[in-house]
Amino acid sequence: MPEGYLRPRLEALRRHQNPDGGWGYFPGKRSWLEPTAYALLALQKDSESPAWQKGWRLLRSWQREDGAWQPNGHVPEAHWATALAITLHCANKVHDAAFRKGVDWLVATSGAETRLFARLFAMVAESPTGHDLKFRGWPWRPDATAWIEPTAHTLVALKKAAKQISGSELSKRIVLGEGMILRRRCSDGGWNYGAKAALGIELPSYPETTALALLGLQGSREADLTPALRHAYHLWQDSRSRWSRAWLAISLRSFGTALPEEPESQQPTHDLILTALEALATPEGGHRYFRPDGVTA
Amino acid sequence: MKPCLTRRALLPAAAAAVLASCQKAAPTPFAGTSPVAVLKAKSYQEDLVSHILTGIRLCGLQVKDADGIRSVLVEIAEGPGHRRDTLGLADEAGYWKGVKNFEDNFVDLNRDDVSPIKNFAGQEQFFFPNTVLAADLIVSMPKMKTHHWAGTTLSMKNFFGLVPGAVYGWPKNTLHYIGIAESIVALNRQFRQTFAIVDGIVGMEGNGPIQGTPKTANVLVFGKDLVAVDATCCRIMGIDPAKIEYLTMSADFGATSAAQIQQRGENPAAVRTDFQLMQQYQSLRLA
Repeated sequence: MPEGYLRPRLEALRRHQNPDGGWGYFPGKRSWLEPTAYALLALQKDSESPAWQKGWRLLRSWQREDGAWQPNGHVPEAHWATALAITLHCANKVHDAAFRKGVDWLVATSGAETRLFARLFAMVAESPTGHDLKFRGWPWRPDATAWIEPTAHTLVALKKAAKQISGSELSKRIVLGEGMILRRRCSDGGWNYGAKAALGIELPSYPETTALALLGLQGSREADLTPALRHAYHLWQDSRSRWSRAWLAISLRSFGTALPEEPESQQPTHDLILTALEALATPEGGHRYFRPDGVTA
Repeated sequence: MKPCLTRRALLPAAAAAVLASCQKAAPTPFAGTSPVAVLKAKSYQEDLVSHILTGIRLCGLQVKDADGIRSVLVEIAEGPGHRRDTLGLADEAGYWKGVKNFEDNFVDLNRDDVSPIKNFAGQEQFFFPNTVLAADLIVSMPKMKTHHWAGTTLSMKNFFGLVPGAVYGWPKNTLHYIGIAESIVALNRQFRQTFAIVDGIVGMEGNGPIQGTPKTANVLVFGKDLVAVDATCCRIMGIDPAKIEYLTMSADFGATSAAQIQQRGENPAAVRTDFQLMQQYQSLRLA
């Protein structure tokens, strides 16, 4: 099965690489950091090829002076997908000055809700979301609140980077980020975008964000993740969404869970991130790129 | 240039294509009154194409029949606020089965290519999907719902779907920092070539927009002036539009008072169906 399912996805990614070396969210669209990072991870075995190297150079060119990566060549703003760029650097075993600058930016970035004024405000006014502001996660973009997905990706990146860069602040941010995720867990056992309740009413979890939260918590010593993994497995069984199933498979396989393979008859869609994720989610795919070094399944 | 539809649709391609085929000129500036049409529709099994054509005509637009669809390029577009899996949501909503060649006619606004505009809502520059910026007409197609932050979510709030998640995230938290009401108003000031078709056949009451309860109101609401459409929807839902912040903030570019709205089709008072309100929103109830 593997070749019959994996090969068309890798071929689709190779076919839809843009002339500038990157990938768009969809074929024929401009290159963006996020699909480019996932495509390069999925095609990591091609890393010596000129095409792969062209994508790598493009991605590297999007780093800003402050160390963050911008989301594409047209939006000159710091972006959460800096975490993906760092994870890709680790997969590619490049730990140079640009890598370190990116890690430093991630370590120095946190949700706007944890800034001094916001914390002072929270002391006098009850937060409608009830978030514990001691636990600092990461936002989609600076000047916004921390949420589960960017926090999970950043934890994966920093845990992988920690093998190369030691520092008390980096270690502290990992602990605080894990704490943020653990405290935003929904009552059903999983995670949504990052609010377990609103106006005192509990909110349900989503499959894909549950998968990502678990990836971010790999190696955590604070929590027993067994019930959450069981919940994730049930979500994988019940979910029809290919996006959700791909993330759940990456996450569950990172934790060593054996899963049946997806049917070979399932064709890649036009969604190039989904195509890359489905390639990464196969048993022989790159789910290991999301596993911190030293953390065993 | 292409028209662009947003949000869960009632046979969206059909309705909007017909509308787009007749709406090529720049919109007339708001001149004090706006037509809004309200039609009864008992279920999704009715001839909704016919209803939609009637609703559009009642708003004063000359429309061709449904065959006009083929001559106009229509794109169905969506930009969910909390979930990244737009295509999966479209699957759950039945688009894949209901729209021929769906993937070729659909734009995920969260992941479209983007371009900046200057001075949006106090931001030096703000990025929007190129599909939206290029559209001749944006047809907002929301459900009729209550909303636990904004009071209601209708055709104007639906424009949150125009903001690209690939830049602003899921949720589009930058809009919360700008202010929900302020963002709704800014988006509707920015995009003026619009039409709304609000699905109130089955809406949502209580803790909307996600965790509320289905509410049958059996109506469709149409209009070019989204402020007037939303004010009318409020009256149908038993909510006082004068107490909805984003509507009061929009009074300079749209009709909110009943006297300014030329009601066509059903009288809103005759089809009023009070939507259940959360405790903190009881004061919104229309007398």
